[in-house]
Parts: sequence; C-alpha cells; structure tokens
Amino acid sequence: MTWNLMDKCCDKCWHTLEYPCRNYIRCRIEGPLCHDDPDCRRKREYRIREILYGKTGFKIKVPMASCTIAAGAQEVYKAVLDEVKSRGINADVTISGCMGMCYMDPWIELSKTGMPSAIYANVKPGQVSKIISEYLGGDVSSAYALRNHTGKAKGEDKVPLLEELPQWKNQVRWVSRNCGIVNPESIEEYIALGGYRGLDKALKMKPEEIIEIIKKAGLRGRGGAGFPTWLKWKIAREQPGDVKYVIMNADEGDPGAFMNRLLAESDPHRVLEGLIIAAYTIGASKGFIFVRAEKPLMAERLSKAVEQARKYGLLGKNILGRGFDFDVEVILSAGAFVCGEETALIAAIEGRTRPRQRPPYPATKGLWGKPTIINNVETLAHVATIMAEGWEKFASMGTEKTKGTKMFCVTGAVQRTGAYEVPVGTTIKKLVEEIAGGPGEGRRIKAVQIGGPSGGCVPASLLTTPIDYETLQKAGAIMGSGGIVVIDDKSCMVDVAKFFTSFTVAESCGKCFPCRIGMKILYDTLTRITEGKGREEDLEILRELGEIVRSASLCALGGTAPNPVLSTLRYFEDEYLAHVRDKKCPAKVCRNLVEYWINPEKCIGCGTCKQNCPSNAISGEPGKKHVIDVSKCIRCGQCFIVCPVGAVEKR
Amino acid sequence: MVKVIVNGKEVEVSEGSVVLDAIKKTGYSVPTLCFFKGVYNEAACRMCLVELPNGKLVPSCAYPVSDGLKITTDSERLRKTRRMVLELILAVHKMKCYQCARKGGFCLLLDFAKEFGVEGIPVCAECPLHGEDCLLVKGEPCLGFLTVAGCGSPCTREGTPCFGCRGPVTREDVIESAVKRFIEHGVDLRDLHSRMKLFWSSFPQFKHVFDLVLKYEKKYMGEKK
Repeated sequence: MTWNLMDKCCDKCWHTLEYPCRNYIRCRIEGPLCHDDPDCRRKREYRIREILYGKTGFKIKVPMASCTIAAGAQEVYKAVLDEVKSRGINADVTISGCMGMCYMDPWIELSKTGMPSAIYANVKPGQVSKIISEYLGGDVSSAYALRNHTGKAKGEDKVPLLEELPQWKNQVRWVSRNCGIVNPESIEEYIALGGYRGLDKALKMKPEEIIEIIKKAGLRGRGGAGFPTWLKWKIAREQPGDVKYVIMNADEGDPGAFMNRLLAESDPHRVLEGLIIAAYTIGASKGFIFVRAEKPLMAERLSKAVEQARKYGLLGKNILGRGFDFDVEVILSAGAFVCGEETALIAAIEGRTRPRQRPPYPATKGLWGKPTIINNVETLAHVATIMAEGWEKFASMGTEKTKGTKMFCVTGAVQRTGAYEVPVGTTIKKLVEEIAGGPGEGRRIKAVQIGGPSGGCVPASLLTTPIDYETLQKAGAIMGSGGIVVIDDKSCMVDVAKFFTSFTVAESCGKCFPCRIGMKILYDTLTRITEGKGREEDLEILRELGEIVRSASLCALGGTAPNPVLSTLRYFEDEYLAHVRDKKCPAKVCRNLVEYWINPEKCIGCGTCKQNCPSNAISGEPGKKHVIDVSKCIRCGQCFIVCPVGAVEKR
Repeated sequence: MVKVIVNGKEVEVSEGSVVLDAIKKTGYSVPTLCFFKGVYNEAACRMCLVELPNGKLVPSCAYPVSDGLKITTDSERLRKTRRMVLELILAVHKMKCYQCARKGGFCLLLDFAKEFGVEGIPVCAECPLHGEDCLLVKGEPCLGFLTVAGCGSPCTREGTPCFGCRGPVTREDVIESAVKRFIEHGVDLRDLHSRMKLFWSSFPQFKHVFDLVLKYEKKYMGEKK
C-alpha cells in the first residue's frame, strides 16, 4: 500500500486526532517541520509528484460531474479503463471535476512525461482507442487544446494552447482554479495543490482579524443580494450567547445557473474550508450544508469531503490544536425553489415550511432562535481562496463597489455554453460574445436574461453594461446567482416572460397574498396576451400589479418575481403592443398568433404535409401546389416540421 | 423604552414590541386581516403595510421597533397597495357567505371591501341561469348584475328576480354596462327603481349609485330613440 500524504511520515511525527499538531497542514507539503529527516522530505516530494503526474508518468483524466456524466462521461471512463486494461498500458486513470466549458463535454485529458498535456473534446466511447494510440504515438493533432508546448509531439503547432483560447484567456480563474484539475474525491490531491492553507492561516489569527481581512478584500455575498460578507459575520459574532450556527446555502434552483453545483462537485474541499473559516470567525460549533436533493452528486461529493476532513482532524474536536470544535451535517433539501431564501432555508432545517418576515435577520435570530450566518457556496469558496492567497490580489480585481471575480453560467443561444469566471465589472458583451462565442452566424442577440426567474431581461442595446450589482439593478435585472440566458431573435419576449412567470407561480410558497395571487394573475394575463385575447389595458394591469407584488411581498422570491415581466415590458413594449393591437407575434412563436401558409414558389407538391395534417386542412393534388385552409388549421406545426423543402412558412 | 415617530407624532413603546403597537398607541390605525395578537403573527396578508423613510413597505404587525424609527401609515401609494391586495384576495375568494360561519356578520374582509370600495363579483357570477334562462334576458327587473355576490343566489335559482339585498356594486363601468343591458332587454325602469330603493336605500353608497344609474339611463335611452 502506498504511503498517503495525510499519514505520518515516521515515528517522530506525533500528530494524532486527540492531540493534533498545529502545523499539520503546512507540514504535509513543506515538511517535515518538527524534525529534519531527508528521507521524510523525499517521501513527501515523491508522493506529491505522484499525485500531480501519476505513478506511471501517464495520466488519463476523465471529468466526473453531473454535466459531463449527462454528456456520457461514464461510458468514456469505462472505455478508457477497458482500453488501458486490454492493451496493458501502464497508466493512471483518474477522475476530475468539470472545467466549466460544457460545450466540450465529455472531454478527456492525457498527459505523459515528455509530451504536452492534451485535451480532447466531445469524446465518444468509440474514439477512445484511437485517441490513446495516436497520443502514445506522439501525435496530438486531433486534440482540442494543449496545456503546454514541448515541441516534441507531432502536430503541436496546429493545436492551440488552452491559455490562448478566447474563452480561457478572458477568464480570471480565482475560485474555479482547481475545477477540472483536482480529483474532487481526494483530500490529498487538494492539499498537494495548496489546499487548506487558508484554514491554517485563519486559525492562527483572531476572528476580528479575519473579519478585517474579508472587509479589506471587499467580498460581497455571491448569492445574489450582494450583502457585505464581513458585516454579516461581524453582526453574528457580536451577538451574545455561545450557540451559533453556520449554514452553507447549496440550494441552487435557478434554471440556467449551475456554478454552485460545479464548484461543489469539482472542488468540494474549497467550499468546506470556507465554511470552517466562517464557523471559526463567528464562533459556531455546528454547521449545516443545505444541498438541493435534485443534485445528488453534489450532495455525495460534499458528504465525502466532510467525511475525509473529519478523518484527518479538520473537522471535529480541537481542530489543528487550536481548541476550536466544529462539525458539519449535510442536509438534503426537499427541493423547493423558495428554500434558497435564507429564512425559508432555516425553516426547512427546523422542519417547518415557508419564509418569515425579516427583520429580525438570521444573523441575530436564525436557526432555532440562535445567531446564524448563511453563505452561498461561491462566497465560501472565495473566503477560502482569499485567506490562502491574500486579500490584495482579490481587491485589485473588480469595480469600485464590488471586488473580485464572479462565476457566470452562460446558456441559451450561444456557441460555447458553460460556466465562466470573470472579474466583476466585465461587460455583458465580452462575456457573451468573446468568451461564450455569441449566438453564431446569421443570428442576432435580442436580449440577455440575467439572474434567473427573479432577474430581468437586458436588451441588446445595453450589452455594454458592466456586470455589477448596482448597474444591473439600474438596468432592471439583478445579479442573482449569476445565470445568464442569451435570447436571440427567434424568441418572443412575451413568451420568455411567461416562461419565467410560470416558474415562480409554481414555486411560490403561497404564504403571502401578493405573490400567491398576484403572480397567478400576472401569468393568466400573459397567457391571454400570447393567445391573442389581450387588450391594451392588460399592459397597464401588468405594470401596476407587478409593481405591487414587488413592493408588498413577504420574501425575496415575491420581491423579485415580477422582474421578468416588468423588464420585458420596459424594453420590449412594442412586442407586447404587437400582440395586443395587431394580434401578431413578431418572432412567430406564440401559437395562436401564427398563420401557416405554403409558399407556392417552393412547394414541390410531394404531399407530405397533406398526409401529416391532423385536421385535413391541406388540399392539393400530387405534383401540384398545396394550399392550407386557415379556417381548418389548428396550428399544430406538423406541416412546418415535415416539409422537406421548407415551403411551409409562418406569417 | 424606545421612541418611534408615527406620522410625525412621537410615541414611546417598550422594547421588543412591533410597529403596530406604536401605531395603536398614537391613535392611528392600519387595517389588519391575518394578525391576531399572540396567536398568529406571520405577516401574511400584507394589509397592515406601512412605509419607511427609504420607501420600503413593511408589515407593521411583525416589524420590530427601533429607536428613532419613522413610519408613515397613510399615503397614496399605501392606499393603492392595500386596495390592490384586497382586490387580489377577493379575486380568488369563494364568497360563499351563505355557507360561512360568519354569515357576513362579523367579517373583516367584507368590512374592508366596503371601506376601500372594492366589491367582489356580482350575483350573476354565482347564478346558475345563463343564456336564454337568464331573467334579465327575459325582461324581468333582476338586480343580480348590480348586487354584491355571496348569498349563493337563492332567489334567481328559484326563478325570482334578485332584490339586491346584499347591497350595490359601486364601480362605474359595471353600472354602465348593467344599465345598457337593462335597456337593451326592455326592462321596466320604474319597476327597477322601486326594487333598487327596497334594500339599497339603507346603504350609504346608494345615492352615488342611483345617480349613476339615472345618468346612464338618460344616455342610453337617448341613443335608443
């Protein structure tokens, strides 16, 4: 059995779980610190090299996160294992987290001493054998990107370096630095890459000093509201009483946002480290990780991380010999979107439901009436990184009001879907067009929906807006958790607003009237408009009711739920007017407002549309032009789909 | 003790109490629906909203007092919001007063509806008669169109035109369209007026409603000629 980096190097090391060594973490890499023995040092160096480059010098890395598994990474992993076994190659096949570039899932990375590390994108299980034999033959020309150049492999000059790709070059990978590199199920690997250094440093300080550092760094909560993290911690720390709680809010529910899942699945120890630092700062001895049950892998990885940390004395009694006790429990949420709201989250842990009125804020009166801080996964990852890397570097990024970086998930009509980390203050245009590749040839961005169902739509004319809490609020959207859905000219804005409203209608807890009834009426009104039964007064109803729901609702869910309606109404009023006045849908999406017709110039008279029409609305002889009878047409769109030459058009 | 300023009036209340206590102490009042002291304090109905100087609306029944807190209990915006919230509640309220234990006697919802001028749906909405069976279409002086629902329409069910015992709807557009229908179907207007006076004359809003009825009768009779 190989020696583990976390184990004792020799009998001179006196670290045990009961009497932990204060320098345990630093000693793992820099050590041995308590005795000088070249053998022990060599042992560590050898093990770290083994972890980073593999025992055999040939490492094959397959990403294992929910996104890559969905794209077929498990089959690829199996194919790689089979291939290695059948050929008898000496190779380490390991797993890693997701790199955040979802458009190239599943990817595999091959690295061999003397060869450049090559990343292959969109790998199918059948291609694995060819990739491995090519790579072993010294040919990397079919790779997607390389991590480094050696000049020894064939076709190296044709393949770009990963750092040179626009989607990588424009990012600043601060919290996501380990994503796609570290093995998320190994605490050893995380420590070998410099992990738990932040905790080591933090435990040597006084809690006030940590608060001071976070204050200097200017970290604001990444969950959406942007409340200064240091202030929250300070309020909780100054509360009397010795029972306090910390909660990690990993209940990420926005459609189109997955940065928390990505972080917790790819680098779970970093977020756990942040949680321990937070607990030490406010003086909590019990913490909770509140994970969405729909993300089972995320819960599994976090539980595994907690288990490993407990095994090596990073959780439990007398952590690192500093007299600080802390333990963590992983709790699965029941899956309601509203549980992301902090008072509802607390209620869910207590076994009740629904949010409550704030104040009193959880920092003064939270879980079971005790001071509680709730931080987002990304915030805690930032805390761990700031403590390890120093606040100066963090504070040098970002805008005047908001420092540091933020992860954004860009989805929708873009070529390169994925989660990207950029400094706060980067323009939406840069994020969407340079990093995510824009909507592609011949298509035009119409709007960008930021912040999920509680965010708003920013029109194409405002794409140069720098992303920040305040600027987005001014534009009618919110930062939210950071989900960005790009909408192109094929989408109808009324339909988009209707979609997001239907989400909040379904997820409203039903406690307060404005959200429960108001949102339903908003949804009904939008449905009426998309069905062509809208009146011009409806727009006034939407505007007035939206404003009331926003100001009178109990929690943040209702307070932001009308945003999609209000922002689309603000920037795309002409589309609403086209729906209610002319009964036309400019984007030709709303079913009741679209009329199908057959373009006689294109029709070849094949009769496919006639055969497929469920209501016999199409007439015409074979070989001759066909015609749709509008009075019979039920607008199912079948003819539009089946026409081989695209002669069926919408108007 | 902490000092709270309600509509410019200073008042001292004990620490740990809510804004509503301070408001009650000054003599002002805010409408409350779901609040029941010591029993239910969840701020769900949002009728008791008050305004803070920064423009935020907070429920007075759950918002804790702090020293120097300034609140406004009445403004155009607050009235509009409360009215809208009440409208929302009534929009989905079943209005089955005939089955309700309160029987319309001690009902805060109906009281507020009268106070804010928000009516629920008219009796027609509950009436089982539609189309050709409708008494109004037959030319009978049925007041169902103009009467607040909640009774379960026992009269029209039995074929008797509505007497309007639950009071009139005050919305002008409803009255206008009702009068239009009356004239369209040739209802005897004198009969209608006497029917209106039977129960409605005891309601405070009667004069306002009756004036509107006469106004639109004049308008549409003129059109018909």
